[in-house]
Amino acid sequence: MNEEELVEYFRTQMRTDPDMASAVAAIRTLLEFLRRDKGETILGLRESLKWATDCLTEVDSSVAVSSGGELFLRFISLTSLEHQVRAIHSHRLLHIHSEKNVGQSSLKASPPPPCLSQDLSRCKKVMEERGELFLEKISLSRTKVAKLCHTFIKDGAKILTHSSSRVVLRVLEKAAAEKKRFTVYVTESQPDTAGKQMADALRRLNVPVTVVLDAAVGYVLEKVDLVIVGAEGVVESGGIINKIGTYQMAVCSKAHNKPFYVVAESFKFVRLYPLNQQDVPDRFKYKADTLRTVSDLSDEHPMIDYTPPSLITLLFTDLGVLTPSAVSDELIKLYL
Amino acid sequence: MPGADKEADLTERIEAFLADLKRGGCGTGPIRGSGETARETTALLRKVTAQARWSSAGDLMEIIRKEGRRMTAAQPSETTVGNMVLRVLKIIREEYARSRGSSEETDQQESLHKLLTSGGLSDENFRQHYVHLKANVIEAINELLTELEGTTDNIAMQALEHIHSNEVIMTVGRSRTVEAFLKDAARKRKFHVIVAECAPFCQGHEMATNLSKASIETTVIADAAIFAVMSRVNKVIIGTQTVLANGGLRAVNGTHTVALAARHHSTPLIVCAPMFKLSPQFPNEEDTFHKFVSPHEVLPFTEGEILSKVNVHCPVFDYVPPELITLFISNIGGNAPSYIYRLMSELYHPEDHDL
Repeated sequence: MNEEELVEYFRTQMRTDPDMASAVAAIRTLLEFLRRDKGETILGLRESLKWATDCLTEVDSSVAVSSGGELFLRFISLTSLEHQVRAIHSHRLLHIHSEKNVGQSSLKASPPPPCLSQDLSRCKKVMEERGELFLEKISLSRTKVAKLCHTFIKDGAKILTHSSSRVVLRVLEKAAAEKKRFTVYVTESQPDTAGKQMADALRRLNVPVTVVLDAAVGYVLEKVDLVIVGAEGVVESGGIINKIGTYQMAVCSKAHNKPFYVVAESFKFVRLYPLNQQDVPDRFKYKADTLRTVSDLSDEHPMIDYTPPSLITLLFTDLGVLTPSAVSDELIKLYL
Repeated sequence: MPGADKEADLTERIEAFLADLKRGGCGTGPIRGSGETARETTALLRKVTAQARWSSAGDLMEIIRKEGRRMTAAQPSETTVGNMVLRVLKIIREEYARSRGSSEETDQQESLHKLLTSGGLSDENFRQHYVHLKANVIEAINELLTELEGTTDNIAMQALEHIHSNEVIMTVGRSRTVEAFLKDAARKRKFHVIVAECAPFCQGHEMATNLSKASIETTVIADAAIFAVMSRVNKVIIGTQTVLANGGLRAVNGTHTVALAARHHSTPLIVCAPMFKLSPQFPNEEDTFHKFVSPHEVLPFTEGEILSKVNVHCPVFDYVPPELITLFISNIGGNAPSYIYRLMSELYHPEDHDL
């Protein structure tokens, strides 16, 4: 699968299902890449997957695609490790068994390594099956998040949210389905005015919604009961990376003592540890086209910002309701 | 028939316990302390395990859940009952996993790792029958009971590390755990305790009497004086009714005031709470969070003419957010509030969180 096919497949995935998260589309593309890959070794497979992930980040530079790619790579490593151990073990058993049959002593030097290509195809089959299962599980994650979060929305609540997030929309849908009455304030979120899309979607659900200026966040916060935002990435410290303007909203809610909730699926957890805004790598801050065409990035407006964990009250993920300190635990369990 | 008698006896005990729970929630403090409630619940659950008819772990968990729902419905604010039911459910899961021979890491919490490596959707339905499961579960419940009996002593043992000579310590209302904690420290150190009386139930008076009997210099102050006196206090040590999943507290009315005053003066706030008070609830359910009792403590019924013109409330509990707390001292040691999620994952299984 060459670069154009990869990018075309990714774009098709995003087009056919606009509700799909970009990380899910990336993982789906990488799974398809795995299926069509004709490599002979696991190491070669990893190299080509890294290359494929880089291609995808050229198309969509968001944190989510990068974290989806890393997660898939980790998935490949874990599965191949498990499979290798099992393969060597079963080969050894077979060997000893056949030795016993012939009547010779079973004290032999380590058996010859298993046949690589035969094992690789079996390994790839396991990877493909598990990959499908993984995709199935993560497609359910938004529903799980909505189930956890809607109980925190009380009847008569006034909610503030930022820009357009499909997870937040799902949560609000669930709350509306549970017959809760609430009103929503959405920030317009320049420069792409994504907030208007969110407002339209909410109007279709018959939820009273008001679009406010980004600058009006401080003004509106005294009326609001809680703030819910989505996240493009959840970093190791428990902070989040999200559309520009989220940090401002978090600081204001802290000043007003309003709870600041984040809803994110678990595949958005990423191995970054930014200490301030400057620490977030440039490749995430700007759109992919901007990175390619513009030489002096200091003139460009960043599209995302980093919100530190001290400003976040709770994170709702498909792994449960987490305090920001629990996020690094989850990442450690996976990556180390 | 002996079987029927035993069953009738068990049902009678459960009914008596439920009636006690329903009655015990008056403002002057429960008729029994939460430690006793926890022990009684666990003993009852052990009896249910021993006597009820069940063939697989799944059946037992259903029975326990059913009993648990009845018990928590009797008195929702008494969270130790629910906590003990969850602990027993976790014990059953662990013993089942051990009997199956699988390592204890499988079927534990949801994690990214599990998402990536498991070979299929979890179809763990606990249907298999194991001969020794009953004995193992009952043994594990006995261990739990021993742990419960030792909690106050375990907490009190840590007192000397936290209390130093000539310190002024503030506490609120009456907590048996804090009382034991302070008495243990008083054996070797000399310090001064200021007790906020905690109106309208004024349990602080009883606390002060008990402490002075143990030769600790005690002063009782009115709740309004808490902020004024706080500048002279070195530490605040309080007990609580429940520790919530985000590290916050549901404690006796007046605790939030003390916590805010302590934060203002940068005084450390230490909470002495045994592990059985840890509950997987979050402070979002406003209807079940608060408990109100008869307001005649606030405004007695004799004040007839005023009563018709005024709304009087008498809440029992306060919410204290986790940012105001410095340290939790429990029977397993001292922990920061941000670590509560970890303790929670070790004690309870996420699937059991809603009974």
